[in-house]
Amino acid sequence: MTNVASRFHSTKLVVGALCILLLCAGCSVRRATLNDVLTPEQVSFIRVGQTTIRELADHIGAPDEVTESDFGVVALYYWSDTKSAALDFGAIGRLFLPYSPTLRLNKIGITPEQLQVVFDPQWTVRAYGFSRRATDEPVIWFWPF
Amino acid sequence: MLFFKPLAGIVIVLTLALLQGCVVTRGTVGEPIQEEAVSAIKKGTTTMAEVVSSIGAPDRIVRGNDREIFHYYYYDGKSPAMMLILLNFIRMDVKSDNLYVFFNREGIAEEVVYGKRTGRTQFRLWPFGD
Repeated sequence: MTNVASRFHSTKLVVGALCILLLCAGCSVRRATLNDVLTPEQVSFIRVGQTTIRELADHIGAPDEVTESDFGVVALYYWSDTKSAALDFGAIGRLFLPYSPTLRLNKIGITPEQLQVVFDPQWTVRAYGFSRRATDEPVIWFWPF
Repeated sequence: MLFFKPLAGIVIVLTLALLQGCVVTRGTVGEPIQEEAVSAIKKGTTTMAEVVSSIGAPDRIVRGNDREIFHYYYYDGKSPAMMLILLNFIRMDVKSDNLYVFFNREGIAEEVVYGKRTGRTQFRLWPFGD
């Protein structure tokens, strides 16, 4: 009787482990981040017509790019958070079979964002603004449709 | 005797299986900016030639507000990955350092703006969270 019970438990363990393997099978999660996120709260100190490029750099660091536009010099701060997840249904088959076809669902969300600060000829802030804020995507999201 | 024990065998196989999928990558662009060279730039006295001789030629030269601006940059990326037979986690963290030296019409340094972020680049594997 004890033998049967212990065999039942080990069968449950094996089936449980196989279920976890099946759930994770072919699962690939990737994430790439560039620079630190800048929030509107972090730049709330900026006063148009008063804050200089020096003060800006003291608070949030040097910009990633400085370029000239028709409205004046523009400082650009870049950051991004790229998330990618994939699910390959052929992964389990490759463990046992010499050939298993690839059937993969993959989704990538690249969200480049930037803060743009325009300066007047005296290097004080003339205007500033954020790029369109992307909605936060979940890290794992394979469904591409 | 130990090697014949099934538990030891399982532990060894599991350890090898876990380690075989580890990938650690490091990538950089440019040369790190020397902070001593940055602090040696004196506003109103250091010339363009002196900046070039101490730091080197700039990576970019930008023109803004009728001034020459030297831009130096350095990128540092760290990417750990765990590529197991059935499950892969890959993460990459890239940050940049930027130095701008603003010169007046006489070629004298007028302003220096420096930001260092690469000190905060991390080997972080777990892709979830912030």
